[in-house]
Amino acid sequence: MEKEELISLYFEGKLTEAEKKTFQHLLETDIEFAEDVRYQENVKKAIKLNKRKQLKATLQSFETEKKTTTHFAKWAAAASVAMILVSSYWYLTQLPDSNALYSSYYQTYPNVIAPTIRSETKNDLQSQAFYAYDNGNYKKSAVIFSEIYATEKEEYAIFYAALSLMESNKHKEAIKLFDSINTHKESRFSYYVQWYKALCYLKLNNTTAATKILKQLSSEKNPQQETAQRLLKELD
Amino acid sequence: MSATNSIIDLLKRNDEKTIRTVYNDYKKSFILFAKRYNISEQDTIDIYQDAFIALIENVKSGKVDEIKSSLSTYLFGIGKFMIFQKFKKNEQIHIADDLESIEVEDDLYSEDDIDSQVRLLQKGLDKLGEQCKKVLLLFYYEEKKLDEIQEQLGYTSKDVLKSQKSRCLKQLKELIKA
Repeated sequence: MEKEELISLYFEGKLTEAEKKTFQHLLETDIEFAEDVRYQENVKKAIKLNKRKQLKATLQSFETEKKTTTHFAKWAAAASVAMILVSSYWYLTQLPDSNALYSSYYQTYPNVIAPTIRSETKNDLQSQAFYAYDNGNYKKSAVIFSEIYATEKEEYAIFYAALSLMESNKHKEAIKLFDSINTHKESRFSYYVQWYKALCYLKLNNTTAATKILKQLSSEKNPQQETAQRLLKELD
Repeated sequence: MSATNSIIDLLKRNDEKTIRTVYNDYKKSFILFAKRYNISEQDTIDIYQDAFIALIENVKSGKVDEIKSSLSTYLFGIGKFMIFQKFKKNEQIHIADDLESIEVEDDLYSEDDIDSQVRLLQKGLDKLGEQCKKVLLLFYYEEKKLDEIQEQLGYTSKDVLKSQKSRCLKQLKELIKA
């Protein structure tokens, strides 16, 4: 039998017992034969190693496949969160800006009680209070008006005290004062009390409370009805 | 185990979908299984991949056709063996009774003992023509008999195939000399 044939059968695993002996003998004695066998063994190893490299690369691609998907999933999640945030922000900025509205609708209520002519000639509390009020000294006016109310229980005093507080950015306290005014009594101030109270709520960002008052003002005939309606529209 | 058999058939045919599915299916359990040996997850995945490759090789060479255990048991058996090999534990390897002897050719895993000729051949193989690649792959890697190869590749006679194989081996030898 040809040596080549023998080696071929060896790799096929088909050697008979006799052939195995021949093979072993040749392996030990014939250098060329041994080299040939070794060469083919190496070919076998080389193919195997290449296949393993290939497979390993494939299996590793499965690993990164999953990572890429996860990565993508994380990216998609982040993107959707960002989307939600952006749309919320957009939505929120579409809401009426209470501060801006307050600024445009608020007007200092004028001194209708005792407009001072020149200076502090009259020394009574009322004059002092209004003098301060007209001159923009609202901290002082708030104090004096409160004093007047404490002693004389005049409605205008508490009203102007509250207004003074508003001017001093003390809207919460102003509301308290407004609330203490009995608006069931028909007074020249009633509607204004409501109006300014609404504005206070607006400044404090309590659009619900503001809207409630404004709705009432919009429905009744009063000097602030139209203005109230306008503001109400802007709040909606 | 007909389900296993069909998986084995698909694996033999290199069906990538099946490879991916089987790989992913058993991976989690293998990682859990390997936790008791205190190996890093990266090392575990490495070993898992090597065991999986060994599985594929055994499948291809028909060693897995007659196994009585499940594919996962077989795979885990290889993996366990590799874990012990890698970390040279002195524990006795208790292979469960239902496991058959796992044939793992550990000689090829020690990368340091690779003959330099093998490295040259690895490169040379890539340069061979498609037909030679096929013949050599079927004969040496998949360990098919010449009759089977003749039928599969459609050679008119066994002698024609034999001479083809001979020529391919010579060609390869020339390639690595250059």
